[in-house]
Amino acid sequence: MSPIAVGEREIFEIAREVFDAMIPGGGALEEWHGDLPVQHEPLTAWVAFHGPFSGRAVLSSERGTVDDLASALLGLGPDAVVGDEDRLDAFGEIANMVGGNLKSLLPFPGTLGLPEVAAEPPADGVLLEKLRLSWGGRPIVITLWSTDSAAAALSEGSTLQ
Amino acid sequence: MSLSAESFEHVADLVLRRSAIRLAPGKEYLVETRLLGMARERGLADVEELVRQVRASGTEADRERIVEELTTNETSWFRDQLPFESLREHVLPRIVAERGPAARVRVWSAACSTGQEPYSIAMTAAEVLPPTASVEILATDLSDQVLAQARSGTYSQLEINRGMPASMMVRHLVRSGAQWQVNPDLRRSVTFRKHNLLDMLPLGPFDIVFLRNVLIYFDVAVKHDILRRVARVMAPGGVLVLGSAETVFGMDGEWSRVQAGRGSLYVVQRPATGAVPSVATGMTHTHRAAVVPALARGGQE
Amino acid sequence: MRALVIDDSRAMRRIVSGILKDLGLEPYEAEHGQAALALLEDGLDPALACVDWNMPVMDGLTFVTSVRARPQWRSMTLMMVTTESEQSQIVRALAAGAHEYLIKPFTPDAMRAKLEILGLVRTETHA
Repeated sequence: MSPIAVGEREIFEIAREVFDAMIPGGGALEEWHGDLPVQHEPLTAWVAFHGPFSGRAVLSSERGTVDDLASALLGLGPDAVVGDEDRLDAFGEIANMVGGNLKSLLPFPGTLGLPEVAAEPPADGVLLEKLRLSWGGRPIVITLWSTDSAAAALSEGSTLQ
Repeated sequence: MSLSAESFEHVADLVLRRSAIRLAPGKEYLVETRLLGMARERGLADVEELVRQVRASGTEADRERIVEELTTNETSWFRDQLPFESLREHVLPRIVAERGPAARVRVWSAACSTGQEPYSIAMTAAEVLPPTASVEILATDLSDQVLAQARSGTYSQLEINRGMPASMMVRHLVRSGAQWQVNPDLRRSVTFRKHNLLDMLPLGPFDIVFLRNVLIYFDVAVKHDILRRVARVMAPGGVLVLGSAETVFGMDGEWSRVQAGRGSLYVVQRPATGAVPSVATGMTHTHRAAVVPALARGGQE
Repeated sequence: MRALVIDDSRAMRRIVSGILKDLGLEPYEAEHGQAALALLEDGLDPALACVDWNMPVMDGLTFVTSVRARPQWRSMTLMMVTTESEQSQIVRALAAGAHEYLIKPFTPDAMRAKLEILGLVRTETHA
């Protein structure tokens, strides 16, 4: 059990709403079945939570998938070339929508950081939830992390039982 | 001919792409009932034929209309705005003025679908009725499936976003996981029941009846029959609310249209003799400022 | 009718502006509250501002508070458009002077419905 009241189901519902409303085409977000393929050119977007619960919500995918997400979000054609700035901005905004809505489900919501995008996520923190999702057959992984030392200790304690 | 899986999928995909509303398999009945009026208007035999025609040679307006038929009715809060404005500014204050602060207001929301309409009525009543007054709303629909959601009063964030003023959201909804739920007080004021308009109507008398965008599914004789029977369950002076593009379908001798602010309502026409106390009388006088500040603004163009 | 779209995400600015344009408004854009205030000081007189909450330099709540402190901008309609979705945040924004609140994610029809509530676009009827 994670120390917060947000589970796989809530994360999935929120992510699905974000995709349904803002990212037309490409199909609905579904659960990923089986092993995840190796990611080429991984890209990660996240927003941090500060306050009674500190942590972050992280989206990971491949650069090619992120480009398609960006052009769907922006309503560009399927063959549009996505520039660096649009890619980072759009992916960050998707993480912001997922993370912002997750924050509202925390028992004591704090504040939300601005979205950040990088090849790799920050290394610190304790993994609380991991959702492997399929967007039209392409993997997108959403993870929820605690970076709060007390919650981290609690979570580690419970896994030892 | 009933709807083919292929046609259903086509419609579901169209609706999903435009409004993010997911019509899961099993909702074929919804597509068939909602689009029947549109098929008939075009002289087509059934909805299957309509979908085929739209796929083959439909216009942008056709596709928009399909999405509208399948979504707005079902998922919009305070749909069309004006009827609720009329209730808030004219109908409800008038009832309280006539019956006093302990007024009991009875409402019927026919074809209530997933419940946005009756809850919108309940929210409007909560804004204007004094705490000593009460409102009882009977909400009916044909489909058990929509009634189940309506009863639970649980909506996704996308559904809540669609037309719910922020002030109402704060006052009447609570978070329920990733969804939102109508608070218990408001849910208690609405009773949901399965009902077919072709069967005996619920027992009145009702001060307010919402019968919107449902008569289009019937032919003229049936429309007239339903409206005649509705007239018999109206309280004296009670008001009928039809869809924004609907009229009393040629029954002008039996129903008359009254203007309540910017909205139009219908009242049963009674013989000129015997002044019946009426919630509809004097409705052209605005005697109350809009209670929701957001609604008072406007005309800023 | 002019509208000001304030969001640090250029993707989101483009989405919101596109919807507003379809509804017949003339959108202008700013990437944070400070830049938006500068546009207002320069004389841009929008009927509506769509305001994100979390932004660098100046957040949306501060922007709303600043606009409400200036009597000459009183007629401007302010709508938060944000992922902040706790009820307590909606209450804070309304108390600060926002008129409406649209939660991201949203669909174009949800934006339209909010503008109808605000009286900025005509209520749609389909005959």
